[in-house]
Amino acid sequence: MDSNKKYWKGLEELNNDPEFVEKNKHEFAEPIPIEEILSGGGLMAKTPRRDFLKALGFGVGAVTLAACQKVPVHKSIPYLIKPEEITPGIANYYTSTYDGHAILVKTREGRPIKVEGNPNDLLSKGGLSAQAQASVLDLYDVNRLKNPILNGGDASWNEIDAFVKKELDAIKGGGKLIRIVSSTIHSPSALAVIADFIAQYPTAKHIDYDAISYTGIIQANQNSFGKAVLPHYRFDKADIIVSFGADFLGTWISPVEFTNQYVQNRNNKSLQSKKMSRHIQFESGMSLAGSNADVRIPIKPSEEGVALVTLYNQIAGTTLPGSKKLNNVTADKALTIAAKELLAAKGKALVISGSNDVAIQVLVNAINSLLGSYGSTIDLDNHSNQFAGNDHDFVELISEMDKGEVDAVLFLNANPVYDYHSSSAVKDALKKVRLRLSFSDHNDETASLCNVIAPNHYYLESWGDDQVLEGYYTVVQPTINPVYDTRQAEQSLLVWSDNAVKEYYTYVRNNWDKSLLAKGGLSGQKGWETLLQTGFVKVADKAAGTYTFSRDLNGVAQTILNQSSQMEASGDKLEVQLYQTVAIRDGKRANNPWLQEMPDPVSKVTWDNFAAMSPTDMKKLGHVQGDVITIEANGYSIALPILSQPGQAQGTTSIALGYGRTQSGPVGDGVGKNAFPFHSFRNGTFQTTAVATFSKTGDNIILAQTQTHHSFEGRNVIRETTFKEYLKDPSSNSGGSIKHKKYDDLFWQDYELEKKPYNWVMAIDLNACTGCGACVVACSAENNIPVVGRDEVRRRREMHWIRIDRYYSFNDEGKEVTEEQEISTLKDLEHVSVVYQPMLCQHCDHAPCETVCPVLATVHSSEGLNHMAYNRCIGTRYCANNCPYKVRRFNWFNYWNDSRFDNYLINEHTHLVLNPDVTTRFRGVMEKCSMCIQRIQAGKLKAKMEKRPVKDGDIKVACQQTCPANAIVFGNKNDPNSEVSKALNSERTYYVLEELGVQPGIGYQVKVRNISEFEA
Amino acid sequence: MRSISLILKQFSRSVVLVAGFAICGFSAYAQGDAVKGEALFKSKCTTCHKLDQRLIGPALGPQLESETDDKWLTKWIQNNQALISAKDQKALKIYNEYNQSAMTVFGDLSDGDVSNIISYVRTEYKKEKTAAPAAGAAQAKAAESGPSDLVIFGLIGVIVLAFIVILVLNKVIATLERLLLKRQGLEPLLEEEPKEEGAPVDRFALVKKLAKNKKFIFFVVLCGILASVSWTWMTLWNTNVHTGYQPVQPIKFPHDLHAGTMQINCQYCHSGAYKSKNASIPSLNICMNCHKVVKTESPEIHKIYDALGYDPATQKYDSTKSRPMQWIRIHNLPDFAYFNHSQHVKVAGLKCQQCHGPVETMKEVYQYSPLTMKWCIQCHKRTEVNMKGNAYYEKMEQVHDILRKGGKVTEAMMGGIECGKCHY
Repeated sequence: MDSNKKYWKGLEELNNDPEFVEKNKHEFAEPIPIEEILSGGGLMAKTPRRDFLKALGFGVGAVTLAACQKVPVHKSIPYLIKPEEITPGIANYYTSTYDGHAILVKTREGRPIKVEGNPNDLLSKGGLSAQAQASVLDLYDVNRLKNPILNGGDASWNEIDAFVKKELDAIKGGGKLIRIVSSTIHSPSALAVIADFIAQYPTAKHIDYDAISYTGIIQANQNSFGKAVLPHYRFDKADIIVSFGADFLGTWISPVEFTNQYVQNRNNKSLQSKKMSRHIQFESGMSLAGSNADVRIPIKPSEEGVALVTLYNQIAGTTLPGSKKLNNVTADKALTIAAKELLAAKGKALVISGSNDVAIQVLVNAINSLLGSYGSTIDLDNHSNQFAGNDHDFVELISEMDKGEVDAVLFLNANPVYDYHSSSAVKDALKKVRLRLSFSDHNDETASLCNVIAPNHYYLESWGDDQVLEGYYTVVQPTINPVYDTRQAEQSLLVWSDNAVKEYYTYVRNNWDKSLLAKGGLSGQKGWETLLQTGFVKVADKAAGTYTFSRDLNGVAQTILNQSSQMEASGDKLEVQLYQTVAIRDGKRANNPWLQEMPDPVSKVTWDNFAAMSPTDMKKLGHVQGDVITIEANGYSIALPILSQPGQAQGTTSIALGYGRTQSGPVGDGVGKNAFPFHSFRNGTFQTTAVATFSKTGDNIILAQTQTHHSFEGRNVIRETTFKEYLKDPSSNSGGSIKHKKYDDLFWQDYELEKKPYNWVMAIDLNACTGCGACVVACSAENNIPVVGRDEVRRRREMHWIRIDRYYSFNDEGKEVTEEQEISTLKDLEHVSVVYQPMLCQHCDHAPCETVCPVLATVHSSEGLNHMAYNRCIGTRYCANNCPYKVRRFNWFNYWNDSRFDNYLINEHTHLVLNPDVTTRFRGVMEKCSMCIQRIQAGKLKAKMEKRPVKDGDIKVACQQTCPANAIVFGNKNDPNSEVSKALNSERTYYVLEELGVQPGIGYQVKVRNISEFEA
Repeated sequence: MRSISLILKQFSRSVVLVAGFAICGFSAYAQGDAVKGEALFKSKCTTCHKLDQRLIGPALGPQLESETDDKWLTKWIQNNQALISAKDQKALKIYNEYNQSAMTVFGDLSDGDVSNIISYVRTEYKKEKTAAPAAGAAQAKAAESGPSDLVIFGLIGVIVLAFIVILVLNKVIATLERLLLKRQGLEPLLEEEPKEEGAPVDRFALVKKLAKNKKFIFFVVLCGILASVSWTWMTLWNTNVHTGYQPVQPIKFPHDLHAGTMQINCQYCHSGAYKSKNASIPSLNICMNCHKVVKTESPEIHKIYDALGYDPATQKYDSTKSRPMQWIRIHNLPDFAYFNHSQHVKVAGLKCQQCHGPVETMKEVYQYSPLTMKWCIQCHKRTEVNMKGNAYYEKMEQVHDILRKGGKVTEAMMGGIECGKCHY
């Protein structure tokens, strides 16, 4: 394979736009106005001698007096009565649960500062998503409600209780309906509390309402097999995965768990045993899963149904009535091959669809049944509880409310005024409800229309439990006293339903004592304490049954095909596909600045949503990136900037949900536009596609997109190969045979690192990394990385120490496209493949940054690390200029304490989330990845105190710890048995820009693609 | 065990003290039975009782003042259990009031012994009551004075300078006037006058002569410049170095008494030093381990009680009245320097005194070391790594290399002076 294959981060780089070229020449986005000062009157104007002396004298005097201020007196305030388990300066870890994942919460002096995966978590073995990592920040959100609210005014809990009880009793007496609307609850105890509440108020009913709904799958399983459940998918058991628009690595059902499963068949270990799964993705917009696929075929949303029917026909060898040929040659070709491969891998194949349409999911069930997936890659018996929402129930509720039958509605973690497709319908219906109550801890879109807001505890303040997978029971325990005058929703329900158990904690305890503890072989107080330490109990899996699909498909196929033809956009219309971004998901955490600033894995856009369009379409229609267009569908229109997205199916546009919040808080409000109204209720479920008309507005805005920041200026940093090549030669394209010029060690002393006890290095497996970005947020949380906001990102000033570079490359009819070839001759920008490369300080042994620092603020350590002494740095920025990897970040402002950066991090309360072992950096100082040196030091100290050598795996860096794919391995290179030594010894290892002779400390493993003879 | 023995030691001391006072007071009032009673009281009662304060049992002074039925008292003291089991109302009341913790049965005390004790308690308590309460100790204010008086010195310096300038200017003016006069031919007239009196001229003659000696003036000016330059140099180098900083703390905690006289181990209170980066200032519950019974009358100790919301009479805590104790931090490292106590105390085995000085002799603690980076590094360069019995260092090739060559392994050699080891 040719090593000078052309990789590009964005179209501007591919086409060498003059603007891009010009910008890239400069180190900083905005030129510093030195010229102006020098050329203008500035230095040439004459200053009279007397003025000069006056200024000098005043200056010296002022500075002297300013420096003479008293040293502040520091107070030291110890605990009055110190809790036994707390030692100031030492972190305590508590088990808890985030969204079904067993987690560990790191607390310092009683305040949670970081969320980490529980290494024994059954779902992801310690991996966590970006959202989970960012969740700790929301605890310190100063915009949370500080007390309950009654009819718009502050109230006490007693007033609330009296009011709500009186109302509920009156409603009960009048025989009117009470409804509890929640996003799916998978906590056994919470469900029991709701059941108790319903027993007390028999007219009450609990409705699961998910903004992002999976009703389609649940209903389809009910129709096909009589089991209304969300199955547990097993990507680790699949040799071939064919996904139709399901972003299972980014957002679909349980992405972190699926990432962990998926990578098990693609990582180094799997490759060494000569095994690699194959992944084919058919989708409209480029998703995280799609970008990781071996083969990705862009199809329109309207083609998805036809494609599935075609696939079914090929696998079953029949022809469903009404079948038609796909109007897409490439997709057709790919389907034939996919069908062949699926059949060949019978029993180890998996077909999934991201659609929420019942008919499509029934057809997918039929295909999976033919492939023998049930019982192996799909488990219906140990099902998932992650989503249970029933779209129809909620639609019915609105009509009930409209008719005036409902007198009380309680919203628990549900915000339909924002995320239901017809916000006005909910608003109108709510007007007819007597008691409108929200448990939201923010005055959000729905809560603000309620007459009672009974703010819930944050999950870090709550007791509880969870069961996302059948038989996997996790516990939620509080790690801090409630910060504000809030009360747990379950507690409120207990009080209002006059439950015999007064405290929710007791309720949870009883529930566990009664049945759940026994499931894990535990009992009594001791069992409970064991549970609090382990975090979960697991009942042995039931045997996954095999299910055979035996229903008639003719009607289903008819529905699908009819729908497809309705969906087809004609003329100058576009098919709109709605999706969630990895960072913001359904928008519930839109007020989290860490998530807003995290670049989207695929588009690399921060702080905005946009209409992603194919570059070909844009050219045709005369648009350029950033042009704001009005998109109209379902009688609703929004104006969004266009993003040119290679890989986007022509004739489609993808729009992210979760943006455009109006009452999430100062960070999330007004970021992007709300796309939920493009949802529609069709065939009994919420559907995520629409046909839209669009028109130009004439505006153009610059998206805060990081894709071309920190450019390598066309140097080749990616190496990839195919699985076939790898099998022939594992070192294929790793560049091992290339001899690089040796440079004399003129500037660098010989550190003799091999003789030192430690040489800290890292190995990153490009084949395991899915680019999900969890590491970026984990790093922010661990290393106190500031949020700079949209404008600063536009100026290329984002501060993330680790970034994930996303490269596109062409795969044109099996031939590699190299730089030499004329790129303009390429037909389409639809068929691109993607490589993700986490890029962070490489801790070069011959670091170019070290030699140019005039004040020796950045120097090498005897442990192979590149140290950065902030207090020594004077901000010349020479180091950033000389760094070939562009991983150094300059503090243009005192971001942690500058009111100009108006995100809620700038206040004393939120500063409590800071890691006290890492300094916050001041204006004018350079910073970069320290390889979590605070963790290294702590790990060594622990070993010294326990009088033992440091064990491999003792020290985990933040990015490594959160990575659900285990793509990052960190450790001591001087220990030949360490994981990292083994990983670096792999034949696939190469070093980025090795040819420069900087001797980087991070080795990357070649990306392997499982491409067969055909490639489109 | 250590802490218990410490408490006992403290306690016995206070008992001896009380007893000592009692003896002094008694010599005047001496009554046969009271003196005998005192000895008995000391040996039998003081473990649980005090005269004026509630301890494990009631404060005996007020108790015996209100309870005058000596017969009942004798029965109670000799065998309280019998009274309780007989459901005696008074006995049950006391029993329940003190959490049903039974008083020791003193079967060996005769009626005479008991009456001796009772009379001792009554006379002694009366005496204590009549003695005017000790003059309240002056409440030491915790003055929040900063360590730097640079402003004041600066101002003084400016004034002195201004004064010198005025003097010099005056001198110049005088000279100019004289010159003017001379030119006008008036000078001799003025000069004649002082000549008439001889003595004052002689007095200033030497000064005048010296003032005209250019070499001497040069020497003086040189000395002045040297002095001021070296003063500036020293001041600048010691900016923000606060060796000797000794603020007044909200409670006059005498380290010399606790760590010196009483020989309490530093880590009894600063327990974090062994396991954490913070040595930590003890929480007040550590103080209460001893001061629940020791020196309970001291106004300084009462500051602890007030902070905790603790009522020594009822021995109950009221958390609503508690407020934090705001000590003044003496040893301040800048935020960008990471320092870990356990690394130095537990791993390196350093004595606390090495950095904190002779704390056991300090009545009020002051900053002993400069806490400058130079000071840190000097120590890291000189100090040999304490690797005895620590398997952490066992397999380090680098260490063995140095040892083989007969060198000594210092902190610096292990990377202890690299920037990133303390600054991150």
